[in-house]
Amino acid sequence: MRSLQSHPVRFTLLLALVWASVLVLSHQVMASGSSGHAAEAHSHSDYTGGPPELEKAKGEACIRPTDWMRRNHMDFLKHRRGQTVREGLRIRSESLLKCSECHQSHEKFCDQCHNYVGVAPNCFECHIYPK
Amino acid sequence: MTMDRRTVLGFGGAAVAGVALAPGMTLIAAPSPDKTEASGDQRWAMLIDVNKCETNCTACTKACRQENNVPLFGDANRDIHWIRKLEIRDKEHKRPSVSLPVLCNHCENPPCAHVCPTEATFIRKDGIVLVDKHRCIGCRYCILACPYKARSLVYKKTSFPEGGNPNVPIRAKGVVEKCNFCVHLVDEGKEPACVQACNGEEGNKAMVFGDLNDPKSEISTIIREVKTQTIRADLGLKPHVHYKGL
Repeated sequence: MRSLQSHPVRFTLLLALVWASVLVLSHQVMASGSSGHAAEAHSHSDYTGGPPELEKAKGEACIRPTDWMRRNHMDFLKHRRGQTVREGLRIRSESLLKCSECHQSHEKFCDQCHNYVGVAPNCFECHIYPK
Repeated sequence: MTMDRRTVLGFGGAAVAGVALAPGMTLIAAPSPDKTEASGDQRWAMLIDVNKCETNCTACTKACRQENNVPLFGDANRDIHWIRKLEIRDKEHKRPSVSLPVLCNHCENPPCAHVCPTEATFIRKDGIVLVDKHRCIGCRYCILACPYKARSLVYKKTSFPEGGNPNVPIRAKGVVEKCNFCVHLVDEGKEPACVQACNGEEGNKAMVFGDLNDPKSEISTIIREVKTQTIRADLGLKPHVHYKGL
């Protein structure tokens, strides 16, 4: 105590040095913290917080009402698939070829929702989406 | 205006002729049907003239591979052939050896369909035996059951070949595949790719494809008039690939 009291100038200098280092350090921590947040946000950029935006279809109207299609397209496609393979029933106006006239890319249409809800129908592992 | 008797009769005659022409005929071409379905009225079959088929001609096998994206893995034990050329030799050398293509015989009593545990292999109404690859679990009972060795398992993951046919899907690893008489072409009213190639420039015009239920079709006429055989007729499977001159 005696030494500090005897050197008041030195004590003030030490205090200033501590304050400066604290300031500099806190600045660095803040900077690194914010960059860390940015990286995290980037890795989750697929998640937009809501249903994905689908590519707008080319044609006027779908072969069925849109809300019906949203609920039932999977059963509809599977039913038609069975009929086509097993009974040779080919309906040109309701074939996948017709779908592709309006929904021109399965990546921008089908896959958007399927990725969002985490389902993986494997149609296009074998079938070539008609262009 | 007055018309003489001859003119009036002339109009009447034209009207009668018009009515007589009308039944079953339309002057405007009918639009292409929106809906086609396999029907039991047809029974598709193939006839191969062995005398015309030449040993070193591979037009049919090449056309099949191109049309149906049939994969080759570079391993003779795993390679897939929907149609293959065989050479048949007479052991006693009394008859010259013959070369013939062998493919799925589309039997009327298909043993492959009988053993299939998931009903993936089935016989369509028009007699074409098909594999529903969506249902096939790859158990391979059918490969053992088929006496013609017409079936193959897809042993490896395949990718769409360069310059392949986009109308025919590739097959996933672990399903069984075989000749399907080019069902997508038959449903369009065309002939299978091998028959088209055989009757084209490269081929030797040895194959005929047609409907056995239609007595006027070319194949029915030939089978009625000429002696034809099927392979392993003794098994009683009633195959529908007929051979002439075997």
